[in-house]
Amino acid sequence: MICKKCVLPERKPEIVLNGEGVCNVCLEYEKAKPSFEKPLETDFIKILKQHQGKGEYDCLVMCSGGKDSTAALYYMKKRYKMNVLAFTFDHGFETEEALENVRNAVEILGVDFLFFRTDFMKEMFAKILATGSKAVICHLCSLWYMDLTFKMTARFNIPIIIAGWTKGQSTKQPLMSRCGCSIHQSEFVSMAKATQEFLDQHVRTDPRYKDFPQSMEEVLSKAQKKHKCIVLSPHWFLPHASDVYAEVIKKELKWKLPKVSYPANSTNCYLNFLSVHNAMKHYGYTHYHVEMSKMIREGMMLREEALKLLEVDFDKELLKNIAGKLGCTYEI
Amino acid sequence: MNILGLSCFYHDSAACALRDGRIIAAAQEERFTRRKNTPDFPVNAINFCIQAEGASILDVDYIAFYEKPYLKFARAVCNHLKAYPFSLKNFMDTMPRWLEDRLILPLVFKKEFGFEGKTLFIKHHLSHAASAFLVSPFEEAAILTADGVGEWATMTRGFGRGNQVQVQKEILFPDSLGLFYTAVTTYLGFPALEGEGIVMGLAGCGDPVYLDKLREIFTIKPDGSFRLDQRFFGFFNEGVRMYTPLFVKTFGAPRLPGEEIEKRHRDMAASLQKLTEEILIMIARNLHAETKMSQLCLAGGLFLNCVANHKILEETPFKKVFVQPAAGDSGGALGAAAYVYYDFLGNKRDYMMNDAALGPEFSSDEIKRILRREGIDFKEMEYPVLAPYIAGKIARGEIIGWFQGKMEYGPRALGNRSILADSRNPGMKDLLNSKVKHRESFRPYAPLVLEEKAKDYFDLKDLSPFMLLAPPVREEKKHLIPSATHVDGTARVQTVNKNFHPKLWQLIKTFEDITGIPIILNTSFNLKGEPIVCSPEDALAGFLKSDMDCLVMENIVVEKAGPAA
Repeated sequence: MICKKCVLPERKPEIVLNGEGVCNVCLEYEKAKPSFEKPLETDFIKILKQHQGKGEYDCLVMCSGGKDSTAALYYMKKRYKMNVLAFTFDHGFETEEALENVRNAVEILGVDFLFFRTDFMKEMFAKILATGSKAVICHLCSLWYMDLTFKMTARFNIPIIIAGWTKGQSTKQPLMSRCGCSIHQSEFVSMAKATQEFLDQHVRTDPRYKDFPQSMEEVLSKAQKKHKCIVLSPHWFLPHASDVYAEVIKKELKWKLPKVSYPANSTNCYLNFLSVHNAMKHYGYTHYHVEMSKMIREGMMLREEALKLLEVDFDKELLKNIAGKLGCTYEI
Repeated sequence: MNILGLSCFYHDSAACALRDGRIIAAAQEERFTRRKNTPDFPVNAINFCIQAEGASILDVDYIAFYEKPYLKFARAVCNHLKAYPFSLKNFMDTMPRWLEDRLILPLVFKKEFGFEGKTLFIKHHLSHAASAFLVSPFEEAAILTADGVGEWATMTRGFGRGNQVQVQKEILFPDSLGLFYTAVTTYLGFPALEGEGIVMGLAGCGDPVYLDKLREIFTIKPDGSFRLDQRFFGFFNEGVRMYTPLFVKTFGAPRLPGEEIEKRHRDMAASLQKLTEEILIMIARNLHAETKMSQLCLAGGLFLNCVANHKILEETPFKKVFVQPAAGDSGGALGAAAYVYYDFLGNKRDYMMNDAALGPEFSSDEIKRILRREGIDFKEMEYPVLAPYIAGKIARGEIIGWFQGKMEYGPRALGNRSILADSRNPGMKDLLNSKVKHRESFRPYAPLVLEEKAKDYFDLKDLSPFMLLAPPVREEKKHLIPSATHVDGTARVQTVNKNFHPKLWQLIKTFEDITGIPIILNTSFNLKGEPIVCSPEDALAGFLKSDMDCLVMENIVVEKAGPAA
């Protein structure tokens, strides 16, 4: 059963549908009736101007090669004329299509580019599959990615991190949202718990991962002590829908949509397929369902649009191949 | 070349973006903040304007401001000195505002949004003159501007030729026809800067019995310029009553807001309107004699007075009159930007303002998302089906919220953010008042007429695409459109062009096919005391709060009784 208003399925104890088929998250949202005050682009520019010229670069743009982060890179360089350092992190499972998008973008925009590839997390990922853990691969990856990003900004004395987070990924729409999805949202409770258990049992105890952060709070507090830096996304401040900026980067940056993706019309790494398949298996929904449900509630997306984007047949061979690269077998 | 025009800090704050001389976006701040006539810095309008066509504030080459703040500050200080000690409180209230932003605007622009380009300050009435002429269809025209007061000028006359605007004569504060109109408006119990339109409507209900007495307040010279007897007015101490005890002694006790409107109030309104028309006509005739030009451009808040505009067209030798839709201070943003691009930078004129639709627009998908979010049932219809469906509803006496395309720039709803009703129904005015607008019963509602049929129904010399002319309704047609005909036999006509407003034109045409009348009643889509709606959220809120029968946003139909059958 899927909520009649958003796209979250009933998965007790987090998601419970009432007699009319509406989930508790939607009901809570209606009760709270949050205001829809939209952040203005001039607010964003004001922040950029306050920090411009203060570091080796004005901002670091986290660029995965997807449409949102590539558009963020485009905006920072072309629209806001910032001195940009593009940063791409590859844990060994980035798709060639995404990396080509990044290469094209940095070359056409003429920005400095920092590419970081590592297989450091490979065994951690493999262990999730081997142990049958319900931990969410993307959550672990985001801890490492953000930790690394903050370290890079400290190294180059960069005051602003720019992410391609959409309005649905932000939990605090107004300024200075510290990171995208908050795993403390009620929809993420089980996922967060499983991820925390995995970190406690398999990461904290492993000497190779002794420095691996245990939570996003830890990442943020460590970062704040070392080098003050704010994280923003231009998409929170601009009125343009993703189809609008996708067209711009297709034209200006030779950006291409990958042949296979989840959700539809997105660009993600290969591990994302495993991560979302695993999440669907264990929870019946993914963080994309949470993100899109939020956008539906805020009137930024139609439920039908979200259902269409989330509807996908997983390529079993692809999943097996990815698991094989981790030295595992994956049960579908 | 991107130029951002701004007007703010008095009333009707607005922004206007010009790209290569073409208006790409313009809007008043009130529409975004929902505070009517707001004087606030128009940060929302600026964001909207600079984002039009993918631009950013950092692409802006010039900001053009619609006044010279130091000149205005000088007048403010002089006023305070003249009115001292009564002005002390006002002085203490207003001075900090001058010092914190109005006198340091380039620094404000830099601080607020990092703009480090050039800021140019264009005199208030020159901005009005530029807004009137530089986007007009005329290669040359005489220009007349009038409002309360700019820096010092209250009225200017001059001419435009090619890309140049020349102001030749000025009437200076405190001699102001605009302030005179506003002062009498407040005397009649209506709010300044808002109630003038109401008084214009009230004027049609009275007789100008005070005309001679009012004339005595003026010393009018042969060229139409005038002095105003300041013993009757208190213009120096802003924020305090605009008329003096002598005015009250001469004309009787003022009407307090909410008090019954008596015959003497109607007569005073009629006298005020008549005298205003007389002076404007005299000045316009004189201007024609001086310039020998056959076309006239009008701007400034006084020329939102469509009754006077029509009289000028009718009773002066000018053959054509152009009044752009944002004739008041909101249009100063356009005028300042246009002046910089054409006159100051010397660019060739090749743009004409045909349409006021320059504000935000929303797609059907956006509207649907919002309606779903709010749990509102709706029906989607293709336009060929929608037009007869809605025209039929109007013909059956229903009141329709009509939200289409881009919001209009300026104070008039010209069919994109409108409430539509049946012009044939004699009771429709009362019905609109009781169900939706809750405004004074004497105020007229305006007709939308197919452009090609306009002269059949109205004694109209020229087109009136921006609802800024009020011609008489033809005698033989009055009984056909009783709710569109004001008590004085005129109507505030908007002529609807098929090319510029295809959907609205089609709706009226379909209404004509059903009823035989090519005229629909139009009033602005807002509730009492609120600005005109901007977004689907605003429209939905207005629809739900009132007794409108149906709301049409693009091709999405919402009905009070539930989803359309």
